[in-house]
Amino acid sequence: MEYQRVFKKWGLKKWLIALLLFLFIILVLLPFYWMACTSFKGFDQLYGNESPLIPRPWVLTNYIELFQKTEFIYWFRNSVIVSLGATLISLGAGCLGGYALTRLKFFGSSTISSSILITYLVPPAILFIPLYVILRSLKMINSLWALIITYPTFSIPFSTWLLMGFFKSIPKELEESALIDGASRFKVFLYIVLPLCAPGILAAGLNAFILAWNEFLYALIFIQDVKLKTLSVGIQELILGDVYLWQQLMAASVITTIPVVMFFVYLQKYMIEGLMVGAVKG
Amino acid sequence: MKLRGGLRRFLGRDSMIGFLFVIPILIFILGLIAYPFLYGIYLSLCTKFVGYPSKFCGLDNYVKLFYDGFFRRTVWNTIVYTSSAVIFKLILGMIMALILNEKLRAMNFHRGVLLLPWIAPYVVTSLAWLWMYDALRGIINLGLIEMGIIRIPIPWLSHPQLAMFSVTSVNIWRGFPFFGAMILAGLQNIPRTLYEAAEVDGATPFRKFIYITLPGLKHVIIVATLLSTIWTFNDFANVFIMTRGGPGGATQIFATLSYEIGFGGLRWSEAIAVSLYPLPFFGIIIILLSRYLRRE
Repeated sequence: MEYQRVFKKWGLKKWLIALLLFLFIILVLLPFYWMACTSFKGFDQLYGNESPLIPRPWVLTNYIELFQKTEFIYWFRNSVIVSLGATLISLGAGCLGGYALTRLKFFGSSTISSSILITYLVPPAILFIPLYVILRSLKMINSLWALIITYPTFSIPFSTWLLMGFFKSIPKELEESALIDGASRFKVFLYIVLPLCAPGILAAGLNAFILAWNEFLYALIFIQDVKLKTLSVGIQELILGDVYLWQQLMAASVITTIPVVMFFVYLQKYMIEGLMVGAVKG
Repeated sequence: MKLRGGLRRFLGRDSMIGFLFVIPILIFILGLIAYPFLYGIYLSLCTKFVGYPSKFCGLDNYVKLFYDGFFRRTVWNTIVYTSSAVIFKLILGMIMALILNEKLRAMNFHRGVLLLPWIAPYVVTSLAWLWMYDALRGIINLGLIEMGIIRIPIPWLSHPQLAMFSVTSVNIWRGFPFFGAMILAGLQNIPRTLYEAAEVDGATPFRKFIYITLPGLKHVIIVATLLSTIWTFNDFANVFIMTRGGPGGATQIFATLSYEIGFGGLRWSEAIAVSLYPLPFFGIIIILLSRYLRRE
């Protein structure tokens, strides 16, 4: 017991925790710092290995060249279109389905709950070739639609679970009184339930957007045209064989990360809850 | 349209509107999960080359792969990659959660920062690490040389064993915050009264951890481990971006091998057979997970 008293007396525990937290934060942020730092370095500095941790001088040429000399704008636009489209679909399906599974009693609802869980767990790595063959026969390869319709499969489960938590928290009496007043189920859903769930819808939407924005495998396979690529795959066009244009690659990475981080600030508190609460009670 | 009596009772009170509401989800599950999955199984039982019609051939693809040296190596690589990554993610995540659980100031802020690797795009994190591991100009080698720990740059990604280490480390870095956040949520669900009672009885911190914390976290740890196992096993982007399975197949895992055979070699049925080989393993994990997730 002696060591414990010393431990407490000197506040060692506090220091140890602060130190560990500091190390964790360094470990997490270092790659992001290295990325941002590289993106502001000039060509000479990168190859001179001088003061690797601080750009000297700071330059914006990498960003300017990214917009002027590459198809970056197209990739960015494509990512926005695909992510927005997938988000809307995922929200529509998630709101309707989540409501049905929480409030409505119908044959087969538990089967659907389980298949949503399975959808969440099936790895895309076993579906990408059959999906490619199917989409090709539908003439959808090399079209943003291929991504817009496949991405919701990743986000629908989370959207549904997160929204189910919100739907459950709405008092049943509120809906029942409207039903008694003669409103239809659909009207109750549209005018009473959905507005009350706005924060949940926003969180589910942001999550769907981030998942679509980050996706890599399908984007790599379904799109071949350089101007139709999304950011996650398009960036790789900046690798010319064995030559990595690191400053441009890192500048593109910085821009790609920014929207995700912005959305995540809001999403954070729902992220784990959605997974835990929704999944446990699904 | 109103259903009557027995049928209505059998199908449920809100059967019509209920079905209508789940139609969009059903379309996605059937059209983009179930159908491609079954179609994939069918294709894996055929010989299918790009541009030719498929011909049924039974289990030929699976048998052929079983004797294939590259495939066997891939199986081993995937096992090494998955198991080592998941174990380290669990350990680091546990430490992260215990730190964040210590009533810190600005806990949400710290948790948010530590979750960054998990939400950042794959391309971004894998490229940033690829650049950090760069043999000549990467910050890791520069730093180690600067500190006098090494003289010659370490070939992080061109030496077979080191490449496996490097690729795995990035997966760990990306994935531990997920464990951390899950375990933290679990820690906050353990009633404080249990700890208070233990303190009255004079329990040491170590014993409190073994007898209260760990049992309280059992559920969360199992769920997080199973989820992470399935994700890590099928991690495509990280390996593809960092090494493309190289050098010489040293970091080839199921997903990248399947891509290479399918889109590099255009032997689609074989590629699908590769990706479906671990299906029994996924099946077990999915069954276990659905049991744990549904138990309240």
